[in-house]
Amino acid sequence: MTDVIKEDQVLDCSGMLCPMPVVKASKAMKEMQAGQILKMIATDPGAPPDMEAWSRQTGNELLRSMTENGKFIFYLKKK
Amino acid sequence: MSVWKTNDSDVKKILYVQTHGEKDPERTATPFFLATAGAAMDNEVCIYFTMNGPQCVAKGNGEKIIIPRKGGGGKELKFFIEQAQEIGVRFLVCQPSLDLHGYTMDDMIEGVEMIGGAAFNDMACDADAVIGF
Repeated sequence: MTDVIKEDQVLDCSGMLCPMPVVKASKAMKEMQAGQILKMIATDPGAPPDMEAWSRQTGNELLRSMTENGKFIFYLKKK
Repeated sequence: MSVWKTNDSDVKKILYVQTHGEKDPERTATPFFLATAGAAMDNEVCIYFTMNGPQCVAKGNGEKIIIPRKGGGGKELKFFIEQAQEIGVRFLVCQPSLDLHGYTMDDMIEGVEMIGGAAFNDMACDADAVIGF
C-alpha cells in the first residue's frame, strides 16, 4: 500500500493540451510556499514526460506520477 | 551588454528563430508554444523573427493568421502570441527583415524589441540552445 500524499492545492488541467498544463502548473507553483504540494490532473497524453522534464528543469520535485480512471495525476512539491 | 537579462547560471537561455509568416500559417504557432513551455520551465526565452517571421508579430496579423486544423476550427495565432508574452517570452526583430515587408517598429505589436545582427550572434553564442524554424 502506497502512502497517501496530502496536497495543499489541486490543479485540474483535464482537456488542456500542450503547453497549457506546464504553463498552469508553473503559475500555480509560483503562488505556493516552499514545501507545499500541488496535485495536478491532466489528460494530455504528453503530460507524463512533460511533467517529468518540467520537474527536472525547475527543481520542483515530482513526488508521484500515476494514472487513475484514464487521467494522469501528478504530485509536485515546491522547492 | 547582452540582450539576455539573466546573470543566474542556473537559468538556461533558449533562443528560437522564426522565419515563417503569412504564407505558411501551419508553421507559425509552434515556436510560440514551445517558447511558452520553455518559459514555464523557468528558462529565459526569446524568439527572433527574421525573413518572413516579422509578419507573425505585425499588428493585426495575430487575428488574420489562422492555424489550420484538419476538420476545421483553427485557432488564431493571437492566442499563441499572447500566451507566450504573458509568461515572459520576449520578441526580437531586426531592421533588414522589417524593410523586406515595408514595416517600421510602429507596425509591430507592443513588446517587440529591435536588435541587430551582431546582437543576435552574440545571443546565439551565449545561449544554451538555439532552435530554428
